[in-house]
Amino acid sequence: MSKVIEVNSLIKKYNGAKSPSVDGVSFSVEKGEFFAFLGPNGAGKTTTISILTTTLSKTSGEVKIAGLDVEKDARKVREHIGIISQRPSLDTSLTAEENIRFHAALYGLYGYRPSFKLMPKVYREQVVQLAEIVGISDALFKPIKKLSGGMQRKLEIIRSLIHTPDVLFLDEPTQGLDAVSRRMLWDYINEVRNTYGTTIFLTTHYIDEAEHVDKVCVINHGQIAFCATPDEMKRQIAYDPTPRVCLPSLEDAYVEFLNRDKEVA
Amino acid sequence: METTMIKNVRAAEKKPSYFFREVSAIWAIFCREVSVALKSPGTLAMSLAMPLVMMGMIGGNLTQNMAGGLGFDFGLFMLIGMMVNMLFMVTSQGISTLVDDHEANFSEEMLIAPVSRYSIVIGKIFGSMFCAIISMMGTLLVGAMMGIIPTFGQFLAVLALSPLVCLSAGALAMLFIGIIKNRKVANMAVMLITMPQMFLSGAIIPIGNSTGILWLISRIMPMTYSLDLVRVVVYAGTPEYDSIVMFNPAVSVAATVAITVVCLIVGTFFYARSEKNR
Repeated sequence: MSKVIEVNSLIKKYNGAKSPSVDGVSFSVEKGEFFAFLGPNGAGKTTTISILTTTLSKTSGEVKIAGLDVEKDARKVREHIGIISQRPSLDTSLTAEENIRFHAALYGLYGYRPSFKLMPKVYREQVVQLAEIVGISDALFKPIKKLSGGMQRKLEIIRSLIHTPDVLFLDEPTQGLDAVSRRMLWDYINEVRNTYGTTIFLTTHYIDEAEHVDKVCVINHGQIAFCATPDEMKRQIAYDPTPRVCLPSLEDAYVEFLNRDKEVA
Repeated sequence: METTMIKNVRAAEKKPSYFFREVSAIWAIFCREVSVALKSPGTLAMSLAMPLVMMGMIGGNLTQNMAGGLGFDFGLFMLIGMMVNMLFMVTSQGISTLVDDHEANFSEEMLIAPVSRYSIVIGKIFGSMFCAIISMMGTLLVGAMMGIIPTFGQFLAVLALSPLVCLSAGALAMLFIGIIKNRKVANMAVMLITMPQMFLSGAIIPIGNSTGILWLISRIMPMTYSLDLVRVVVYAGTPEYDSIVMFNPAVSVAATVAITVVCLIVGTFFYARSEKNR
């Protein structure tokens, strides 16, 4: 498998900050891999994603997506990526469908037409079916202002996938969603991933969501604390030697690593 | 269900050309601005109310007290100036909504798309033109109520040049708005951009006899040239042409285009930079 994301010695120091938010981070993600980038609040996850998605400049280091430099070839990089960011990026004056239509036109998939009915049939069918899958059919033509946070999240997921990106960045995508919605969304994301081989780059505080990923990197205080498969990570932690039915969960391992890191610091 | 969905997604998956994507982005942003304006009765009402204040009150007062002895019809002179001023003012206000987009995180949706930053800015400027034209129409209506009625040809001339005027106004506004991230500051910036131009570029007060610092300021105001260009077209072939038009048309065209291009490039550069360099 080829590397679709390559990060080498990445440093990001915000203007006026005393210390870097991301301090010499290196990791890589293989094409089609499901990658989890975990860490506590303020660890540098969103900063790293912002640099990877070309919306934030780096201080130093090398970052490549699909072999393209995120600074020199930013525009080409953006052709390969999609993102569901921590903060919703919807236009609250428009309806849910208008937000999707705007996105599709912005990516050049379809020319923007003034009403849904005037859009090509393939677009209309696609939007209606995606809305059914994520359960927002009733809300499709309602203004964003009238949708719950969960509904808005689902809409963002439809929107980010409509241009079928090679790499999908999910920055805490299920924050604020109920358990049923979370499961529904993961089923859908897995379906897209299996069909297209989409690389998923996930950050989340729900560690169970990362249980079945291919690789986990834990970032803490701007530095990589550990990078391995979930099983390898679990094997690294000290646990009670009394017989247990199963290995500790990934969440156990995650908390253990953070605690160890804190002790070292 | 999923199989059909995937088929549809596949059908939609295509590699649009560079040119199509840019044009599509400009058009989409334009349509979004129009759609947002149409859904906001307050914005539309303000677009129509502004001419009442600008043309009705300021213009009316000037016409009654200053119109004598100028050697030309001051009413029409001021109406054309106010129409261009409205295009400038409302387009600048429209550009300031980039700050709202930033605050609502909607700018991320545009900035992460594989389109040029120029397309984003140009789409925004043309979108702002929609409300600007409504304000221009409002000015025309107030002018008609005051008994100042241009010919249909003169009206068409202003309308035809309005995209250039709005582009010039939007580009100028980008110089300031692109780096501002706060609504209050953006509102102040709009006032700072538009108010001096209304008085010093010859929109409502003739500036042909300005001297000293006022002469200098009037010559560096971008609206001076785009307004003069509009008056070139409106007054072409009339006896008042020489007393109203200040520059050779080629100078006005060159100055308007040069100022627009420079402001657009510099403004867009700083906009993209301020979003990225934090």
